[in-house]
Amino acid sequence: MPVDRPTFSESWYRVAELRPRLISTVQIHRQHFRGRTWHVVADPASNQFFRLNEAAYRFVAMLDGRRTVAEVWKICNDQLGDDAPTQPEAIQLLGQLYTSNLLTAELPPDAEGLFNRYHKRITREIQSYLMNVMFLRIPLIDPDHFLDRWIGVVGWLFSWFGGLLWIGLMLAAGFFLIGRFSQLTDQFEQTFEQAKLMSNLPAMYGAMIFIKVLHEFGHAFACKKFGRQTGTGGEVHAMGVMFLIFTPLPYVDASSSWAFRSKWHRMVVGMGGMYVELAVAAIAAIVWAHTAQDTLIRSLSYYMIFIAGVSTVLFNANPLLRYDGYYILSDALEMPNLWQRSRQYVYYLVKRYAWGVRRPFNPANSGGERIWLTIYGIASTIYRFVICLGILYFIADRLFLLGAVLACVAIVVWVFVPIGKFLHYLFTSGELMRVRGRAMATTLVTIGAIFFGLGFINAADHCRAEGVIEPIDMQFVHAQADGFISRQAADFVESGRIVRAGQRLLVSSNPDLEAMRKQLLADRDRYEAERRQALDQGVPSLARVNEEHLAAVAHNLSLVDDRLAKLKPAAPLAGEWICPQIEQLYGAYVQEGQRLGLVADPTRLMIRAIVTQNDAWMIEHVDREVEFRILGRPDLHKIGQSFKGRIESILPAGQSQLPSAALGYAAGGEIPISPSDREGRKTTERVFEVHIIPAPDTPVRLLSGQRVVVRFTTPPKPLATQWWRAAMQMVQKRFRV
Amino acid sequence: MTTIPSTIWQTLSQRAPDKKLPRGLDAAWDAAAGYVGRIVPRRRIFLRQAQRVVDMEKTYSELTDGKLAHAISDVRGVFRRGRETPDDLLAAFAMVREVATRKLGMRPFLVQVAGALALYHGCVVEMATGEGKTLTATMPATVAGWRGQGCHVITVNDYLAARDAETMGAVYHFAGLSVAAITQEDKPPERRAAYHADITYCTNKEVTADFLRDRLTLGRLKGLPSALLAKIAEGAGSGTDRLVQRGLHYAIVDEADSIMVDESVTPLIISGDAPNKEQVAAFQQAVDIAAQLELNTHFKTNPRYREVDLTSAGKDRLEELADPLGGIWRGARRREELVVQALTARYFYQLEKQYVIQEEKVVIVDEFTGRLMPDREWRDGLHQAVQAKEKLEVQPPKDTYARISFQRFFRGYKRLSGMTGTAVEATREFWQIFHLPVVVIPTNRPCIRTHAPDRVFATEAAKWTAIIEEIRRMHQAGRPVLVGTRSVRASEQLSQLLAAENIEHQVLNAVRHKEEAQIVAGAGQPARVTVATNMAGRGTDIKLGRGVAEAGGLHVIATERHEAGRVDRQLFGRAGRQGDPGSAISIVCLEDELMLRHAPHLSASLRKRYGKTDREVSTRLVRSLFNASQRKAERLALRQRKGVLRTDDWLDEYLGFAGSES
Repeated sequence: MPVDRPTFSESWYRVAELRPRLISTVQIHRQHFRGRTWHVVADPASNQFFRLNEAAYRFVAMLDGRRTVAEVWKICNDQLGDDAPTQPEAIQLLGQLYTSNLLTAELPPDAEGLFNRYHKRITREIQSYLMNVMFLRIPLIDPDHFLDRWIGVVGWLFSWFGGLLWIGLMLAAGFFLIGRFSQLTDQFEQTFEQAKLMSNLPAMYGAMIFIKVLHEFGHAFACKKFGRQTGTGGEVHAMGVMFLIFTPLPYVDASSSWAFRSKWHRMVVGMGGMYVELAVAAIAAIVWAHTAQDTLIRSLSYYMIFIAGVSTVLFNANPLLRYDGYYILSDALEMPNLWQRSRQYVYYLVKRYAWGVRRPFNPANSGGERIWLTIYGIASTIYRFVICLGILYFIADRLFLLGAVLACVAIVVWVFVPIGKFLHYLFTSGELMRVRGRAMATTLVTIGAIFFGLGFINAADHCRAEGVIEPIDMQFVHAQADGFISRQAADFVESGRIVRAGQRLLVSSNPDLEAMRKQLLADRDRYEAERRQALDQGVPSLARVNEEHLAAVAHNLSLVDDRLAKLKPAAPLAGEWICPQIEQLYGAYVQEGQRLGLVADPTRLMIRAIVTQNDAWMIEHVDREVEFRILGRPDLHKIGQSFKGRIESILPAGQSQLPSAALGYAAGGEIPISPSDREGRKTTERVFEVHIIPAPDTPVRLLSGQRVVVRFTTPPKPLATQWWRAAMQMVQKRFRV
Repeated sequence: MTTIPSTIWQTLSQRAPDKKLPRGLDAAWDAAAGYVGRIVPRRRIFLRQAQRVVDMEKTYSELTDGKLAHAISDVRGVFRRGRETPDDLLAAFAMVREVATRKLGMRPFLVQVAGALALYHGCVVEMATGEGKTLTATMPATVAGWRGQGCHVITVNDYLAARDAETMGAVYHFAGLSVAAITQEDKPPERRAAYHADITYCTNKEVTADFLRDRLTLGRLKGLPSALLAKIAEGAGSGTDRLVQRGLHYAIVDEADSIMVDESVTPLIISGDAPNKEQVAAFQQAVDIAAQLELNTHFKTNPRYREVDLTSAGKDRLEELADPLGGIWRGARRREELVVQALTARYFYQLEKQYVIQEEKVVIVDEFTGRLMPDREWRDGLHQAVQAKEKLEVQPPKDTYARISFQRFFRGYKRLSGMTGTAVEATREFWQIFHLPVVVIPTNRPCIRTHAPDRVFATEAAKWTAIIEEIRRMHQAGRPVLVGTRSVRASEQLSQLLAAENIEHQVLNAVRHKEEAQIVAGAGQPARVTVATNMAGRGTDIKLGRGVAEAGGLHVIATERHEAGRVDRQLFGRAGRQGDPGSAISIVCLEDELMLRHAPHLSASLRKRYGKTDREVSTRLVRSLFNASQRKAERLALRQRKGVLRTDDWLDEYLGFAGSES
């Protein structure tokens, strides 16, 4: 068509002489979106909505069952000029209204057509159910009557007064929670402890259902309240179960709020759920803070706080998913159907700029919308992609057999169906008739570029392993002689002090030795006296005998002194004296050979990293320069910062003993350990040990015993290879195949 | 007590054809079923059955007329009650065959019987020109007539309808059936009588127009209950008495490819005048304004899609120019539309190519067939724009009252079959749109026509020189030559060239269509040169003159490859009919419209390479380019036709409140 909006349609004769009108139950509400007036045609009986722009509304509004379509069209053209709907537009408009069952003509109703449309709708609904197995909705009850009865009682919740009360409640809850933050985290760990998790789940799920039912009633009551207040009805006719990734949760259909004139009302309906949910969570927080530990009420209220917090942050407030946050955002931006339109807009951009389609359908009405649509379109697509992957991973991970089946279904629905649709579109769409060559070429080039990029261009490849920091130079200090350790603090060097080589570390005493020494000293004095006396008396032979005695005593004395000296162990090298339980040594008796502590050189540390069989392939090719981060100490790292190190040696043969129990599963590490080993250091499969020397200019002080994660750089490989390996490793790890 | 004839009941109780084109996977499945269906050896089955029919010859040839008539009336009753067995069918065919032999002196050949069986079983039958399709149709038509619901035999023009009804009438009368033909001049009572005959020969236009008129007569009373109520309430005055047709039951379409494929999206429109002075003036003003706009600065043209696009500078200029005119010119949309139409008329619609002027009126020439379409008009003001361009009196656009495309109309028949000389190329289309399989029936005598490979030239001038050369060669050899051209203009051009060379020739084109049959009939005389637009004289055989067969028979030259391979083949099929000798060749050039529209880039680069040489450039590659572009054009056309049907389906669904169209 060489003209954007051709005025005439060859099918016009089919409608020209008709005198249709909107059906009598229809209500029309005026709304404003981004400075434009729109009219929402709503049929409360069937919950159908139809949004008309100003010109279309003028056209439809003049159809009163007395004027013919042709007359109305002419009037519209005279009044609105170029803005008036063209004949094709008018036909489309009438057709859409008709298929939404909002239009009647003076003809007898076409019962067959009505039934056909009904069947078509049902088929479409079933199809969409199948396409959305992960988000299945089953309506169960009609809560409208219930809401009507109770709205008078709870309606005040959605007023200024209710809002103030809510803020007060939030503040109170915040006050209680902040003070008990550590208890909160403790309880988190208790709740999600592996052993107890299964037994906690039923109660947690019960709490979730409770809070979510209230959430949905929040929406429903808000809808009812504003519907009544503004006279737009606010009917809520469907409430039921939604299977969110097979987890049954309640839902409510409050779509009649779309007819509300004020966007604030629509937003409050959207927020109604979270509003109620957070209020319940706040009450639960107060209860939690005032109940004793390990009671059922405390744990139930804890679950509620947890569920409300997590679901609000992850789902409801997140506009990228089509939950409450999305509708709130869409109303706040005054951009209805944001999701569909943003996708259409992204397609539009592709069609227009990549394929050169002439006059593609542009869903944006204004410049401002364009930006929003682009941002939202891209963000939600990426997010959706990630979420899909996450869900796939989750089900495949948790439910192996069923999971595999579901994953296949999901892959078909999320991957093959869209690809098939896209190809069908690419090959047969009339829109692309003229640019099919270009469209196919661009698509091929893009896909080719992606495949080439992933399959052939090498990207830096990395592999991670955990390790512990240990000093290179260290020596244990053992008791070299039996003895009692002194009780006097002055005799000790505190643990953690830097000591010189040879510096005394502690003092112990051995009364036997001291007695022996005294005896020897006494003997020496005696022999000396006797020697002098003999010399004085001129008995040299006696003196000689005494001299021999003296020599023997001196020898013994030196032996004893030696042993005494050993009671004061000194640092074997310069470094840090580490003796964690030094207090326990006060006054204790130690036997020769007992370990007292150790002296390690803190300036010369190394990392002993453990590489499992999975990553053993990299050992031969790994780059010697590595990076590492200290685990559990995000405060030590600037954002994105890691420290450098160098591989010193790789122990050639595999071993099955960890350098530290901290690396094993039992202590929170990553390496599976043999359950029979009480120390938690024996691995289930052979591992490789890599010694790494941290760079001397590491900006923080490394401490011996810290756990680190080391990032090895391996020869670059195409991303496809890397991902494939990762996927295979995941499968191996998860499914042990 | 009101009585209502059962025919009215039948007309009314007929549901609107609810066969929507399948979509998505359904469509893929359906198409796949079509491909798989081709495996069925239909031809062999029908030939085998036909052999059995031929074998029964003895049984009936010995009967007296009276006995034969008696046997016929027996089997007729069986068919009337719908209790026939497959053997009854074969027997019935054998009887009709015998009747044809006695009454017409023509005994249907084996292949004709096979074709008749294929028609009976709802196929599109491909039978070469001159194989006696008219006679073939009598067998299934008779059987359908026996069923008592009427059978339409649809042809392309009134002349053929009247002729066939008359020549075949004797067979039908003997078989106890009434037969009638409908021509354009018939009045409603005659039409009603004709439609109530057992066999009705008519053209596609008449039968479709009558169908639409019936719909209009019924007006809003589209359903059976409302019509019956109206009948009871209003008595004889209600619309039901003015209906002429009695439902769409059986149809045998002759030249099925032309009617059901080429013309299928052409809507048949019942319209009335809608005088509009202001608009008429606007079209003239549009032509004046268009004359002031410059190509490429103010607008761009797209020859491939025959479109004109205004640039933004053009839109501004247009606003300036239109400013003093006021009225309809105030709105940007309307004025751009008018000027774009005027420009389209100027650049893409040429006298003697797309239209001719007859009696001060613009008459459309069908680009596919070269025929005149006096009752057709271009849409959306284009027709008016062309009138204004030719400085004729602008006829205001007419108001449409009812409209249906042939493809939709024919889909409404309960049982449909067709026959044509060329159908294989449209197998996909016949299946996807009408669910009709195609059966190729061999010729009675083997075809010995020789087909030389295409000769390709770089330029149009070189092509015409070569064509003249070829004609002269054949002319001197004493062989008759038939030259097919694509447009009226090309035929006139060639005529001038031939006149300059002093070659005596006849021109047959849409403008000179009066002498059509006569010229075609004479085209087989020795050394006769006939220049004809592609489809001219379709339905009339070219019989060879004396001594021509010995000289090599008719030689056919195609001067351009057509957008549909079928049309080419139809032209070539003029030579070598019924086992006569004959030959055919295409002489084409890189500047042909097929190239320009469907391989613009490749042909441009080839033209660049071969420059302006007069040499022949036929290499295998260049020839295959022609074939590829032809296939591309065919695919495009099919897609467009399906698109039209889809749009119609969509409209039907969405405009349910306006009642169904058909």
